[in-house]
Amino acid sequence: MGNERLSAFTRQAGTILATLVGLLILTFCIGRLMPVDPVRAIVGEEADQATYEMVAERIGANLPLYQQFIRYMNDLLHGDFGISIRTGQPVINDILHVMPATIELATFAILFGAGIGIPLGILAAVRRNRPVDHVIRFVTLIGHSMPIFWTGMIGLIVFYAVLDLVGGGGRLSDYYIGLVPETTGFLLIDAVLAGDWEVFWDAVNHLLLPASILGYSSMAYITRMTRSFMLDQLNQEYIITARVKGLSKGRTVWHHAFANIRVQLVTIVALAYGSLLEGAVLIETVFSWPGFGQYITNNMLIGDMNAVMTCVLLVGIIFIALNLLSDALYKIFDPRTR
Amino acid sequence: MKSLLKLVAPVLLGSTLLSPPVHAETPPNMLVVGFSMNNILTLDPAAITGKETVQVLTNIYDNLVALNATNRSQVDPQLAESWTISDDNSAITFKLRSGATFASGNPVTSADVIWSFKRLMKLNLAQASFLKTHGFSATNADASFTAPDDQTVVVRLPKKVDPQIIVQTLGIVGPGSILDSKAVMEHDKDGDMGAAWLTNNSAGSGPFTLGQWQSNERVTLEQNPKYWGEKPAMRRIMMRHLAESQSQRLMLEKGDIDIAYSMSAADLKALESNKDVKIQTNGGSGFYYLAVSMKDEKFQKPKVREALRYLIDYQGLNDSVLPYFGRLRDRPIQTGLLGALPNAGYKLDVAKAKALLAEAGYPDGFSTTLRAISDVPFMNAATAIQATLAQAGIKAEIITGAGDQIYGAMRERKYELIVGRGGGGQLPHPDSNLRAIVYNPDNSDQAKLTNFQGWRTSFYDEKINKMVDEALIEGNKDKQLKSYQDIQSYYAEMVPAIQPFSEVVDSVGFRADIKGLELNPSWSTQLRTVKKER
Repeated sequence: MGNERLSAFTRQAGTILATLVGLLILTFCIGRLMPVDPVRAIVGEEADQATYEMVAERIGANLPLYQQFIRYMNDLLHGDFGISIRTGQPVINDILHVMPATIELATFAILFGAGIGIPLGILAAVRRNRPVDHVIRFVTLIGHSMPIFWTGMIGLIVFYAVLDLVGGGGRLSDYYIGLVPETTGFLLIDAVLAGDWEVFWDAVNHLLLPASILGYSSMAYITRMTRSFMLDQLNQEYIITARVKGLSKGRTVWHHAFANIRVQLVTIVALAYGSLLEGAVLIETVFSWPGFGQYITNNMLIGDMNAVMTCVLLVGIIFIALNLLSDALYKIFDPRTR
Repeated sequence: MKSLLKLVAPVLLGSTLLSPPVHAETPPNMLVVGFSMNNILTLDPAAITGKETVQVLTNIYDNLVALNATNRSQVDPQLAESWTISDDNSAITFKLRSGATFASGNPVTSADVIWSFKRLMKLNLAQASFLKTHGFSATNADASFTAPDDQTVVVRLPKKVDPQIIVQTLGIVGPGSILDSKAVMEHDKDGDMGAAWLTNNSAGSGPFTLGQWQSNERVTLEQNPKYWGEKPAMRRIMMRHLAESQSQRLMLEKGDIDIAYSMSAADLKALESNKDVKIQTNGGSGFYYLAVSMKDEKFQKPKVREALRYLIDYQGLNDSVLPYFGRLRDRPIQTGLLGALPNAGYKLDVAKAKALLAEAGYPDGFSTTLRAISDVPFMNAATAIQATLAQAGIKAEIITGAGDQIYGAMRERKYELIVGRGGGGQLPHPDSNLRAIVYNPDNSDQAKLTNFQGWRTSFYDEKINKMVDEALIEGNKDKQLKSYQDIQSYYAEMVPAIQPFSEVVDSVGFRADIKGLELNPSWSTQLRTVKKER
């Protein structure tokens, strides 16, 4: 039994490792095939050939592709993620700075998305083909199909420029910047640790709009999925049996139907959360939010491969971790998988 | 719909009511400036590239001299109180002002000045090219820059050129920035002359010091308490990365930022009617142009190039596509510079172009490609030019992409037509324009003179090279002026590969209560003089 477990664990670890290495090779190739030139980004338009070649040699861009990759992997194995071309700082420091901003944004967004999306989905399923269902489906369709940078811009115009309810771009207003020490990088937590409630509310004020808009788009997805999972369940015979037995409608819906879709929902929400972590680049750009999505995109655009590779590695690990987590949650929610 | 509002509205609105009201104005002694910082990769003056970093560093580092914002041919004293040029035009002697100190408290000495120049040449990064063009190099740097005493700096010219262009070059942020040698060398790492440290630290003598640079987020500048000149009105300058023009506009309208440096024409135009916001437009650096590749045999024929000259709608482009970006200019020297002739007055003339094409053997036109980067205003200009070319039967397929794809193809000399921007001009000397746009000392592929746009177009004309070289060393000012006029006439006559249709202007929006903002065409806009009048 112990041996079996061990080999299962080894197999899983092997798969994970192979996935990550494959991901790195693919990213490296794409990054180098893209028509971007990191050396040109460093030396600029006006530099002459001598300067160009000197810098190419310094960052190793003159080496054949496979040698560059080996060099990168070698450094990686020694725990060195390299220096970013864009910031001149160790990539790992950069990521520790941008990641909390994105986690804050994505967490609020998913709380919004799941917190509203799941009840809406259930409501729509229960009131299938009634006006409420139509309204919910229409609203979620809009959320799903509107380009998020557009929603973001309109949100800024309405809630920031016209109604003056929320802060503009960035994580904080200018006069609050630097007032609380950066302990965790999570502004809300840092503000609480410092006991500075003014900074805390200003940060909340800046977070609300981008998080709501991001949350709205993932809510659209979560609602639609919840609705269809619920409809599946509500059409099952056991539901009818339960109703015939005299169970109340609410009890049938919540204790029977919903209990059975929890597992699927966990997966959906976990994956939506994962994609929010890596994919918030458009909303980050519109809201000048200094997060992970902007970091990876901007570095990709100048071929800053040390930064891009580390980011991709991190995204890979996040997704694998979320998968493992939802596997674990399956085991908790669904006794059959134990 | 009601039930939707019931559900969503409380979340969007309800929780915002808990928070304090948003301030509508920036604090009186803090200036907030917004622009896209995507191009800021370092804050080491020797390694910077492009306009954005100059906008930042001009407030941190002083030069020996400063380029005047309004009168482009005027050079003002800065760390040097005076300078003299030797009779044989071979050396420039600068006398430093006394009492100037760096932010560290170290006095500014001639040793710091020559150390800064030698460091620039030895590191041989982006900004060194300004001096390399005129013969300075890492090997001759020790002989070229000397300090006979603490207050005197002598710059010996390794090559015979107009000393004025060297004085101007030392007025540019980057090649001319003076660093605190002691402070920098305290952070020397493996002989890098402080390059790693200077990436996000500063060691200058300017009105502000670098507080913090957070890549693609913000740059904060703090008032330098040791500043030798008049104290700036602002205690702090907050520069914010706002990639989107729309965000800049919204925040400027609201008063959350005081100055927006990089807004699009559409947003600038929309702001014209806002009484709380003002717009300032001033000359910039370089041209918008249509370039051909002389590798293509069609474009080797002067008649074809001349036909293209008459297939650009100069007025139309400048009126519809280029407001706030450029103003009509069809000569290779920017207005306001020495010897600049009035516009030649080229106009869209399809009949004339058709006749020229017929003479060249293309009565029905031909097919070709036209490259442009996918940003405003390049794509719009390319589309407009595509339409006018079509009127003479030239079918140009537009190829678009990012800077590396478009200018990369030009650097590799693999293109046919391109709508681009360039042609020097950060330096207010006609040589800067001409050397960038038409000069080509070696036309071989192996030469790889990618920093010369003349080389990129494969255009080679021995006579114009000679004229450009001779004009630069002409000691008599009247004769020099005449030489530059002659070059422009010759340029008009022989139709080189690059035809400018507009010269670059820079436009910024700012709150109406901001006073003393003066855009500098060489990008070194000083925020020291800016005040808020409320």
